[in-house]
Amino acid sequence: MAVALYGTFAADRLAWLVLALGLTGAALLTYALASVNAGSIVSGLVGVAASWSLSAWTRGTGAPGGTVLAAVGIFVAAELAYWSLEQKSVPDEGELVARRAAGLALRGCGALVLVACVLAALGLRPGGGLILETVGVAAVVGLLAIVLVLARAVYEAER
Amino acid sequence: MTDGVVRYATPKLGGYVVLTALGLLASLIFARPELAAVSAPFVVLLAIGLAVSRRPDVRVYVEVDRDRLLEGDEVLLEIELDARDSAPRLELLVEVPHELELLSGANPIALRLGLGEERRLELRFRCTHWGAPRLGDLHLRAGDAAGLLVWEQTLERGSVLRVYPRPEELRQLVGPRETQLFTGNRVSRAKGEGLEFADLREFAPGDRIRRINWRASARRGELWVNEFHAERNADVILFLDSFVDARRADRGTLDEAVRAAATLTERYLLEKDRVGLVNFGGVLNWLRPGTGLVQRYRIVEALLNTEITLSYAWKEIDVLPRGTLPPKALVLALTPLLDDRAIGALLDLRARGFDLVIVEVSPLPYAETPPGELGELAFRLWKLRREGRRFQYERAGAPVVEWREGESLTSVLEGVNASRRHARARA
Repeated sequence: MAVALYGTFAADRLAWLVLALGLTGAALLTYALASVNAGSIVSGLVGVAASWSLSAWTRGTGAPGGTVLAAVGIFVAAELAYWSLEQKSVPDEGELVARRAAGLALRGCGALVLVACVLAALGLRPGGGLILETVGVAAVVGLLAIVLVLARAVYEAER
Repeated sequence: MTDGVVRYATPKLGGYVVLTALGLLASLIFARPELAAVSAPFVVLLAIGLAVSRRPDVRVYVEVDRDRLLEGDEVLLEIELDARDSAPRLELLVEVPHELELLSGANPIALRLGLGEERRLELRFRCTHWGAPRLGDLHLRAGDAAGLLVWEQTLERGSVLRVYPRPEELRQLVGPRETQLFTGNRVSRAKGEGLEFADLREFAPGDRIRRINWRASARRGELWVNEFHAERNADVILFLDSFVDARRADRGTLDEAVRAAATLTERYLLEKDRVGLVNFGGVLNWLRPGTGLVQRYRIVEALLNTEITLSYAWKEIDVLPRGTLPPKALVLALTPLLDDRAIGALLDLRARGFDLVIVEVSPLPYAETPPGELGELAFRLWKLRREGRRFQYERAGAPVVEWREGESLTSVLEGVNASRRHARARA
């Protein structure tokens, strides 16, 4: 919903269409969660992503401001939606909830770094000045950390 | 999780693949590289998640603290999980049969097991209904860390519990008209060795001196001796009509009948009577009369397996083997009087001279009056027909006592005894 509203306010034109798409996506997502319908989650996320894409298109070429946050928002929304569906069938015990919440936060940070890296690699400057520069540096550090973690996991599995 | 494991993709995997594909496609079509950047987290999660996912190795041990219980007792199921490999999310569901009710513990439960971690789960159940439920069958579902793939397995580690009907307190039993030859607790009408005084008679050679009634002898001027009633046992056949069951939710006429049969079995065996069972229904089942604890368990085990089996085959009492119904046996029938085959068999038994007592487990509390005037009329006719049947039995000399839901078995048996006394007085 936040992504849809941000897209609406940031859009140079067709704001009503951006809002309609975003609201439809959010409504579909709500319906999916209420009716435990995994198929509708994809439709809802596609609606929200389309709303943001339309908003970005109205702002001309190049990555508009907030691209990183929008991408992370959509990713975290997807993760939360599927987690909620799992909870409807079998609820997690307390310890698992805490672990998964920490894992989700980590994934969110990872997504932030990754998108920033991808945008930097594509030569797109989404704007944002110092903050995004910092994110860029963090992205490189994060990528290295991921490589290290994966290497360690593979080593332990082989052992 | 080793054998019989089924692996499948979660909706999340499908959803992420679709989102990634749409994002990349839109990026190409609209020439907007930032859309590819939006898809990047999904791509990376899919790639890493699928690359590192592997089947979790969890050993499961299931134990039930006891397997013979009474209705209302509690049973503890212990599940021990031993993770040979980490399981980021393990869902565990214990199949709970309808005879049991979960008291404590979470079912289903989702938990995490680290590498080499052991967990012990305890689930406490209450037995709400007699029967032979199977407890301990598990369904396991383990997901990978990213939630993209799951492995499912059903473990049949259950053990069959024996939940016996809880016997009701009984103050009196229905006494048989005739006793048998074996020694028991019942005062026979025949004279013999016993404690209960029966009569006086003149002394005859061979009589014991201790039997002489000195007071009567002094009054009559010759020797008179006391006579006693012999103490004998009786043969009791419990006739369980399992053709039809009137039922609503978790209560039914068959449940009540089985509980009553278990109670009566216990009490008659305590009186040293020989007790047998005839389960007259879709599946015919019988136990020859016997005494003792072994017979009690035999009968209760047979009762636990009682169920309604639909059958259109006409059955008569002739199908029972010889010896199942000994002569002079008291036949105590527990029936809802709904099936013509059971009704006919009982009349046949009476016609053959068996001492028959019918406890009618009333199906009326489970029956609803059909809507409309015609429905009401049909319901009244049905009740009248039942009355007619009862009258038919009573005319044949078999008392019928109605046992309604909530009424104690003691009061029902008191009704039977009163009816028999009344019949004797009338005769």
